[in-house]
Amino acid sequence: MTGSGLLAASAAPLTAPVVAQVTAIEASLLAFVVLTGLATALARDVLAAVIVFGAYSLGMAALYTFYRAPDVALTEAAISAGVTTVLLLLTLAKTTRIDHEDVFESVNVPAVGAVGLLFVGLLLTMGDVPAIGSPDAPVWSNPEVSQWYLAETYAQTGVDNTVMGVLAAFRGFDTFGEAVVVFAGGIAALIVLHREVFA
Amino acid sequence: MSDVRSDDAGRGDPAADAADEAGDDPDSDVPPHRAVPRSGRLDSEQRQGTPYTESQVIMPTVKIVAPFAFTYGLFITFHGSGSPGGGFQGGAIVAAVVFMIAFAFGIEPTRDWLANTVVVALAVGGTLAFAGIGLIPVARGGAFLQYDLLPIPVKYGLESVEIFGIAAIVSGVLMGLFFLLANGFNSDGSGFGDADGDGTEDDDDADVADPDTSDANRTAAADGGAR
Repeated sequence: MTGSGLLAASAAPLTAPVVAQVTAIEASLLAFVVLTGLATALARDVLAAVIVFGAYSLGMAALYTFYRAPDVALTEAAISAGVTTVLLLLTLAKTTRIDHEDVFESVNVPAVGAVGLLFVGLLLTMGDVPAIGSPDAPVWSNPEVSQWYLAETYAQTGVDNTVMGVLAAFRGFDTFGEAVVVFAGGIAALIVLHREVFA
Repeated sequence: MSDVRSDDAGRGDPAADAADEAGDDPDSDVPPHRAVPRSGRLDSEQRQGTPYTESQVIMPTVKIVAPFAFTYGLFITFHGSGSPGGGFQGGAIVAAVVFMIAFAFGIEPTRDWLANTVVVALAVGGTLAFAGIGLIPVARGGAFLQYDLLPIPVKYGLESVEIFGIAAIVSGVLMGLFFLLANGFNSDGSGFGDADGDGTEDDDDADVADPDTSDANRTAAADGGAR
């Protein structure tokens, strides 16, 4: 998808606002994500939980793709489904894994009650969240900011991908801070694990 | 926690429970918050080496897939200005290729092949490159990361930040985390000498001597092999 295609796809709902319906694929992906999330929480075996968590991240990546956030989808697939799963597996390989007879954890009723209350509380706020593609969404009802970036990124930076233009140019100092945080994370891991060399 | 343990006891075989309580369990000295090693599982004390299984399926698969995945990571990095992606995602994919190779051919050979200098150069060099690209406009009297003061077009300024800065940092740090976790916690304190403070200085020095020299030898050998 080229940048102009991104621009056209993003600008289309502004001229003809259409409240998107949840398609069958999106509904099945949402169900998959919820089920894998529950399975991650309930799986007795830690290895099974890690594997199912990777599947959850893959489902989230596919969901982001359907909601037209390919940059976020790439990050979710590469970091969460790929790297995090590998690092967790490596950690499991270095520690003890206990044999379990049963597949699922026994449900802790007070914990489920607390999580359920939080879930209901969050659900009550969903009424104020605009529907996908709704013209009432702040991104469209206050179009000066988002439309300015969509219109000006190519003119000012020569970059088609608006996300990269915002990250590297308009918010370049933030991105520099984030990159330094990643670097500092590596250094912190060295310190925590009492090592002086990475490899 | 107490619920889980009581459930375990309830579901367990009564005969086995009786045998455990009879006192013939060799692991009875394990504190209750630690996992008790079972049959077929190795305790972490016995499992400090990195686990590796040589598989005739995984190795050819990785041999075929790795070049394409590496190229895809580079494409995501270099083409981030025109398509979804960028340095962060591309760097993660490049690091994932190294993970793949390590899983297929063993972590220790991969560690020797990809010397510590490469990992450190990626992480440190990426940070310095990002800071340098940002500071060049400052030296010319502009603001930090003011791309139009760079001697190259603005688009190439953004791309050089993504490629030489972010992608290098992310791939280097992720590879470093992978090798670090494969090594595990340095419980004998040989990383910092007297950092843990659980022994006298003489003991610490003795502890330090061996791993440091072996590390130096290994790094030098890996460098010699790479060059």
